[in-house]
Order: sequence, then structure tokens, then C-alpha cells
Amino acid sequence: MDRLLAGTIRHGGPAVGVLAAASVLGACLALALPYALGRTADTLDPAWLTTTVAIAALLLLCDTLAVWSGAASGANAAAWLRHRTLHHLLGVGPASTQEVPEGDLVTRLGVNAEEAARAPDAAITGATLLIPALGGLVALLLIDPWLAAALVAGLTVILLVLRAFLRSSTTLATGYQEAQADIAARLVDAVAGARTIAAAGTAATETRRVLTALPQVRAHAMALWRARAQAGVRAAVVVPLLEVCVLGVGGLRLAAGDLTAGELYAAARYVVLGAGLGSALGYIAQLGRARSAAARLAALLDLCPTPHGVRPLPAGPGTLSFHDVRCPGLTVSDLKIPGGSSVAVVGRSGSGKSRLAALAGRLADPAAGQVRLDGVPLDRLSRAALRQAIGFAFERPALVGETVADAIGPDSGPAARQAGADAFIRRLPRGYATPLADAPMSGGERQRIGLARAFAHGERLLVLDDATASLDTVTEHQVGAALAADPRTRLIVTHRAAMAARADRVLWLERGRVRGYGAHARLWGDPDYRAVFQGADE
Amino acid sequence: MKVLWAAVRRQPYQAVRLAGWSVAEVAPSWVIGVALAGAIDDGFGAGRPGTGLVWVGVLGLSWAVAAVGARQSLLALAGIVEPFREVLQAGAVRDSLAAGRIGTAAATMQVEVARDTFATVLGVLRTFVFTVAGVVVGLAALLPALLVLVVPPFLAGLALFLLALRPLARRQREFLLADERTADAVALTVGGLRDIRACGDEERAAAFVGRRVDTQADAARALARVTASRTLALGLGGWAPVLLVLAFGPGLGASSGVVVGVLAYILQSLTPALNGLAEGLGVSGVRLLVTLERLSGGRRPSAPARVTPPDLTVELRGATFSYGREPVIDGLDLVVPEGEWLAVVGPSGIGKSTLAALVTGLAVPAEGRVTVGGVPADQVDPQARVLIPQEAYVFRGTLWENLTYLSAATEAGVDAAVHAVGAADLVRRLGGYQAGIQADALTPGERQLVALARAYLSPARLTILDEATCHLDPAAEARAEHAFARRGGTLIVIAHRLSSARRAGRVLVMDGATAVLGTHADLPGRSPLYADLAGRWTPDLEHAS
Repeated sequence: MDRLLAGTIRHGGPAVGVLAAASVLGACLALALPYALGRTADTLDPAWLTTTVAIAALLLLCDTLAVWSGAASGANAAAWLRHRTLHHLLGVGPASTQEVPEGDLVTRLGVNAEEAARAPDAAITGATLLIPALGGLVALLLIDPWLAAALVAGLTVILLVLRAFLRSSTTLATGYQEAQADIAARLVDAVAGARTIAAAGTAATETRRVLTALPQVRAHAMALWRARAQAGVRAAVVVPLLEVCVLGVGGLRLAAGDLTAGELYAAARYVVLGAGLGSALGYIAQLGRARSAAARLAALLDLCPTPHGVRPLPAGPGTLSFHDVRCPGLTVSDLKIPGGSSVAVVGRSGSGKSRLAALAGRLADPAAGQVRLDGVPLDRLSRAALRQAIGFAFERPALVGETVADAIGPDSGPAARQAGADAFIRRLPRGYATPLADAPMSGGERQRIGLARAFAHGERLLVLDDATASLDTVTEHQVGAALAADPRTRLIVTHRAAMAARADRVLWLERGRVRGYGAHARLWGDPDYRAVFQGADE
Repeated sequence: MKVLWAAVRRQPYQAVRLAGWSVAEVAPSWVIGVALAGAIDDGFGAGRPGTGLVWVGVLGLSWAVAAVGARQSLLALAGIVEPFREVLQAGAVRDSLAAGRIGTAAATMQVEVARDTFATVLGVLRTFVFTVAGVVVGLAALLPALLVLVVPPFLAGLALFLLALRPLARRQREFLLADERTADAVALTVGGLRDIRACGDEERAAAFVGRRVDTQADAARALARVTASRTLALGLGGWAPVLLVLAFGPGLGASSGVVVGVLAYILQSLTPALNGLAEGLGVSGVRLLVTLERLSGGRRPSAPARVTPPDLTVELRGATFSYGREPVIDGLDLVVPEGEWLAVVGPSGIGKSTLAALVTGLAVPAEGRVTVGGVPADQVDPQARVLIPQEAYVFRGTLWENLTYLSAATEAGVDAAVHAVGAADLVRRLGGYQAGIQADALTPGERQLVALARAYLSPARLTILDEATCHLDPAAEARAEHAFARRGGTLIVIAHRLSSARRAGRVLVMDGATAVLGTHADLPGRSPLYADLAGRWTPDLEHAS
């Protein structure tokens, strides 16, 4: 984690150096300014006036540079962190979502990267804020030690108030969030039924029903505002009152002739600077957040990437074979799927169908044994050779890319035609160039894009894991015909008897073992086999 | 801007309260210079420490008043922005229902961002106005001649900032959008890690997200540059008056107490108010505008006319509808007389659901017309027709509320409907009509049964089943379809399985290029697609699948 923070400083670029220089210089100038202002007001000496002008101008320059360099270094560091983490996550693959939930991953690459990238800014600004804050206290101490003591006591009060606010506001916030969650849940239901509601013309009633909890939300919100106002009052009144005390005591010294008007003014300003210690402490908190954000990113970088071999794939028909394969939930001692043939994988849910598909496409590795493609164990193949050879389609495909064509991959047109997706893609607002976000698709349409993607990717072997489950009869028929005519080796996980009937052979799994392997017509005689397809649509 | 002004005007009492307490909140800005000058010149400096302490006391008192003012004005502010949030939230709900999809949790979050940024903008604006007024009055009270040294450079700095506001707003906006686009790409990629691995698309995915990360970093650096120039402009506006007063103030007759007082006015009142304004408008203001644009996007007025059609003949004449360049439905002519049972067959995505949308008036044809009993479909009273889409709607509430959603039915009527569509077992299993139900506790098939019974109970006699039975088994599907056919009126079934076509009186086959109307018996001779389907289709296989 600290290596990662050091990295953010390195990759923040020259801006980090500028930030450090501008901050230190600016802090010293800020400390000198009240004294110079006071002197100028007292003496009206042009030399002091020139000094004040110079200090103010330099201070302004430093502030400007610090604002720029703080933000720029953060931008550079955040981009570096995101590139690096993302690259690593892609290397780890789907295993990373088993360690960290998806939403959390998005947060880590988003907000957390931003926070961690702010580490250089927080460290430098926080450290340099100590100069005017502590300097202000020292300056006050030189005027009157009691004033400095009063100031420290005041700061303690502020911090305690802020802590008390944090405690009470979390419980209040929970009530608010619960009321909002009720609205969100009702909205999710109603949106799922949007077509029903639109057709029935009941949108107004539905809006009222979704917003039932609005009065509770208001009540909780107002309670939050009251708590905020209360804490704000207590915190806001402390610093000015300290300043008034200093002015009172300082005024008496002025009357006694121990202090000039300019010095009195400077003392009042030093109180404000001294109170800045509070915001310096705030930067320590920010640094703490940056550290914990960096720790969350470092945890991702500790995940192990999937190792790949280096072998290319020799020429061959695409024969897939399992050799003494064992993994939790599935045992396949010996299985050979001839190159160019199609095999349907059937079985009740939980029988190990998806696991078999994952092993065949090396989305997972077996605990023992080997899966080979044209004689080469999958884990010996280079990543490029492996992925060029195998195309994979899922029941619920996740589509990635800018546009529909992007999501399918190279050669999107022919692949989409084979998957029966071409007609509906061309009807989208911008055809194949439609951005994915603007192409709301039904489950069946997404499945066909996913199929097209598999067709575009695998040269020798297609693995379809229940990838036609949401298609209606007509579309499934068309896709089935296209699949039957395909020269590649096909492994098709399915719930439907029609799909199994079209395959050259059926692999029938039961409780993680192979129960049968042969033609559908031959297996159909077994009542247990027929039972696999009963109630499949429920 | 109009939206915001309207939000303030809707709460006139709170607005007056806010203005009143704001005066109290900025009291120290008015008092500080006069009090310091008085304390030094008339009090401590003149050998009258008592008078000096009184002036300091006045200053202290103004801070106490300010604290109370801050509390009350924050509550008044809340009284304006919370109703504003409710208006936005209701709008977001309406938009989501109209669009049929939620900007997920984003809608709630956007509404809260709008609320918080609106509070900030309103807060800094009134602080700025009242503070500037206070400082001007205070300066005039101290030594009016000094206004010449303070006001022009301050206005120049303000003008510089306002000039910089437009580019600043643009950069801030670009950054916000780039940030969201990165988050979208990351979410898409993280959600697709399995698929990316399966396709070996790691490089393309890294490039896809990487481009957005780089764009975002560029936007952040550009924003840093304009923010820095804003700091410079504000600094000039803040410091120039200070130096001018120090240089020329004494020459205009300012005593040391007055000089100290003026410095306090500028450095402790004017500069913080200006900085607050810059931060509030430049960051929160832009965020508010971006969020509001997003929230009020896509709102459309609700349908005006509601005509009850004299009969239920559905008629399409040259109806054409497209989402993009290629029409989904192209010059379709179709007449479905009242009382007919029509099945629509074709691959999904070919326009069957669009046909349902046209008939129910949810979509309006670009060319041609769609009428029900001679009335344009989008003006037909929703009570006259009922659409059951594939995704059945079930909301949190009792089973009874869900079933009687479209009608006021008696228990006997509900019993009959539940029995007719084959949902009696489900009702028993759930524990009767008063059982509480919610969507995610039911299977898709159970949800469809609830929706079917509800539609059966509705007074509508034009029924459109859009794959409404796809999660039921074939026998249950047949029972439901027969129930609606017996119930009377016009029935249009968008078929998920081919068996739906065999039961219907007539069949419309849509295969993209053409639409052929016929019967189950004559279609194989007229539609190659239908022939192909019917030829391969065996009741045995379909029953099993």
C-alpha cells in the first residue's frame, strides 16, 4: 500500500515538485503577511508597503501554482492507478469478482483511485499548513502566552463538537436511507412493469404509490439539517469568540502602550491562522482516507493473474478430450468429442453442465486431470492461441465495448447473420454503430449478440452454455439450423429436447458424473432421460 | 435557472425567513470594521479602555447573533430545498416509468446531488449579496472616500471571475461527464470479466477503458488550469483593495484604527464571500446544472384524449414504424374484426412487440394509421384495451390489490378469473387473497399467472398477450389462451411457441421482409418460413421442451 502511495507521488509528474515548492513558500509568506500588514499600517513607511505588496503578490502566485499542481498531480496519479489496476484485473479475470463484489470493484477503480491519488496533495498541503498554524501560535505566544493557551483549548472544543456530530448523524442518516430504499424498491417493481402501466394509463397512480415514503424522507431529512445546523453553530462561534478575547486583552495592552494598532491587528490575524491547525488536522484525516483507499487498491493488485502456457496450437480438426478430470461437483474420467461434431450437454440443474463448459473453454482449471484440444492441454496453450481457437457464449452475456459491432468483435456482420441477430441490429437507431448504452435489448436479443460474438471468436471449438435459453421457438429454430451447418466442434449446454435432438451426440450428466453419452434418439427410450426435460420451462 | 427561481418562489415564507436570518448571519461583516476602528481610535488608542471593551463586546455580540442567524437560515434553506428535492424525485419517478428503465440508483443519487448543490448555490449567493451590502454600508460609515479605493478593484476582480466562469463551467462539466463515462466503462468491463476472458478480449477491453481514463485525466488537467486562473483573478480582486488602502488610505484621512477596520472588512468579509461565491458557482453551480439537465430530460406530456371506441375492430393501414433507418414495420395493412383470435408468429426482434405497441397506442406510426373502432390507437381510452407484456408486473402489496389493479371486482368475480386462467393453485399456495406478495419472491411463471388473472378481470375487451405466457408450460399456456378466447372481444396473441398459432383463428407471419396473413392450414403453402417451422415442428418435441 505504501509502495502504491509512493507510486502516486512518482507518477504525479513534475506537478508534485511544483506543489511542494509553492506550498512551503506560500505557507511562509502567509505567516509573514499579518506582521507586514500591521507594520505598514503603523508606520506608513513606503519600504514596508513595498514589502507587503511583494509578499501579497508572491503569495497569490504560490496559491495559484498550488491549486494547479495539486489538481494536476492528482489527475496524473489517478489515471496511473486506474490503468495499472484495470490491467491487473483483466489478467486475474472473473476470479476477481469472487474475491471482491462487482460494485465494490467499480468503487475501488473510481472513488478510491481518486482518493489515493490525492495522497501527494494531502500530505504536502497538510504538512505545509502546519507552518502558518504553528507559526501563528508561536507569534501569539510571543505576545501573550495565555492567549495561545486559550486558543488551544478552543480547538479542542471544536474537535469534540465535530466528533459528536459524526456520531449522531450516522443514526439519523440510516433512517433517511431506509425511507429512500423503500422508494427505490417500489420503483424497481414499477419500472419492471412499465409497459403494463403505460398500456393501462395508470402512471399517475403508480407515481404516488412509489413515493409513499416521501413524508418519512422529509422528516428524516429535516432532522439531519437540524443536527447539521446545531453543530455548525457550536463550531462557528468558537473561533470568532477567541478572536474577540484576543482583541479585548490586546486592546488593554494597546491602551497601556505595550502594543501598536498594527500589532493588535496582526494578533487577531494570528488567532485565525492558529485556528487553521484544525484544517491541518483535517488533511491528516484526508491522508488517512488516501491510505485506506490505497490499501483497497493494493488488495486488488495482490490477486494472482491466471498463468498461461506458451505453446501454439498444432493443425487439427478441433478434437476436445477430458482425461481423469476432477473438480468440486464434477468428475469426467475419459471423454472424447471428435473434431467437427456437435455434442449437447444435458442434465438437471446442478448436475455440472456449466462447470463442464467452463472447463472446456478454460474459464476454470480442474483440480486434477487435463482437458486437451487437439492433444494439447489447455493450460499449456498461449493465451492468444487458446482464445483464437475457442468461442464461448453464455445464457446471460455481458456485452463490453463502445458499440454493438465492438461488442461482437472483428467480422461482426457474418457472425451476426449466423446468430440470427443481423435483422434486429440493422433496425437499431444506428445499426451496428449504435452505442451499447442506446441499444436496450431483450434477453433473447442479448443472447443472439452473445452468440454472434462466440461465432466471431472461436476458430475450432464453440462452447454454448445455455446460450439459446431465452430465444423463442422460431429464432431458436433458425439458430439451431445455422449451428447444425457449422463445421466447428460444438459443445452445447441446453435444457431443450429439440436442441439435443439436433446434436450428433448427447452428453447426459447427473450429479456431477456422466450418466450417458450417445444419440438423443437412443437415450430417449430411458424415462430418466426424458424426465430431464420435464418442466424445463418453469 | 427558471427551475431554481420557481423553487424559491414556491416557498415564499421560507424565502423571507431565509433573507431575514441571513442579515443576522452576516452581522459581523457589517460590524467588524466599525467596531475595530471604534475600539482603537475612540477606546484603547484614546486612553479610554472602557469604550474599547464596549466596542469589542459589540463585535462579540454580533458573532453570537451570527451563530443564531446561521442556524435559522440553514433551516429556512432546508425548507426551500427539501420540497425542491421532492419535486425532482417525483419527476425522476415519472421519467423512469415513461422510459421503462431506471437510471438505476443513479436517479436517487442525482436528486440528492441536485438538492445539496442547490443548497450550496443558494447559500453562497445570499451570503455574497448581504456581505457586500454590509461592507459597503460599513465603509461608508467609516470614511466614504475609501469606497473609491475598495469598490472599483473589487468589481474588476468580480468581473474577471465572471468572465472566467463560462470556460470554468465548461471544463467542470466536461470533467463530470468524463468521470461518469469512465465509471460506466469500468462497470461494463468489471461486469464482463468472464466474457472478456472467454473471448480473449483483454487488450481491447483495456484499450476501451484506457481511452476513457485518459480523456478523464485530460479533462481534470484542463480543469486544474482554469481553476488556477480563477484563483489568480479572485486574488487580484481581493488583494488590490488592501494594498490601495494601505498606500493611499492615510492620505485620504484614514486613522490607523480606520485602516485596521477596512483591512478587516476586506480580508475577513469581502474576500471569503467572493471565494465562497466562486467555489459555489464554479463547482456546485455547474454540477447542479448538469444534474438538472439529466433529471428533466426525456419528460413528455401525458396523453390528452381518451375516447371510448364504438367497437373493437383493429385496423392498420400502411402503418410504418422505425427506431432507426430501417423500418421495423413497413407499410403493414391488417384488419382484425371484433371477436377474432389472431396469433402473430416470427423471430424475436422482427417487430412483433412493436406491433403490440402500435395497437395499444404506446407507439405512433410515422406513416399510415392504426385505429381501434375507427379511433386512432393513441387516443383510445386505456380502459378499452389491456396489454400483458412478457415481463409481468407485480408490485409490493396484497395479492388482492395486485389482482384488482385494473378493476373493482367482487370476490366471486376474482374467484372465477383465477380459476379461468389456471391460477387457483397459486392463490392457495400463497395463502389467499390477503397474502402480501412482491415480485422477487415469485417465479416468472407465477408472476405471469397474476398478470393474466388481472387482465382477465379488467373491463377491457381488446386483449393483447405479448409472449405473456412464455414462462408457463405448454398446457398452462393453452388453458390461459382459451380462457381469454371464451371471455369474448378481440384477442391478439404474440406467440412464443408455435402451438399458439395452431389454436388461433388466423395467423400473421412476420419474417422481416413481409407479413403474411392466413390460417394454420393454408399458411405452409404461402409462407416459406411457416412451412419450414411447421414441417420440422412436432407436437412431441415441443411438448417436451
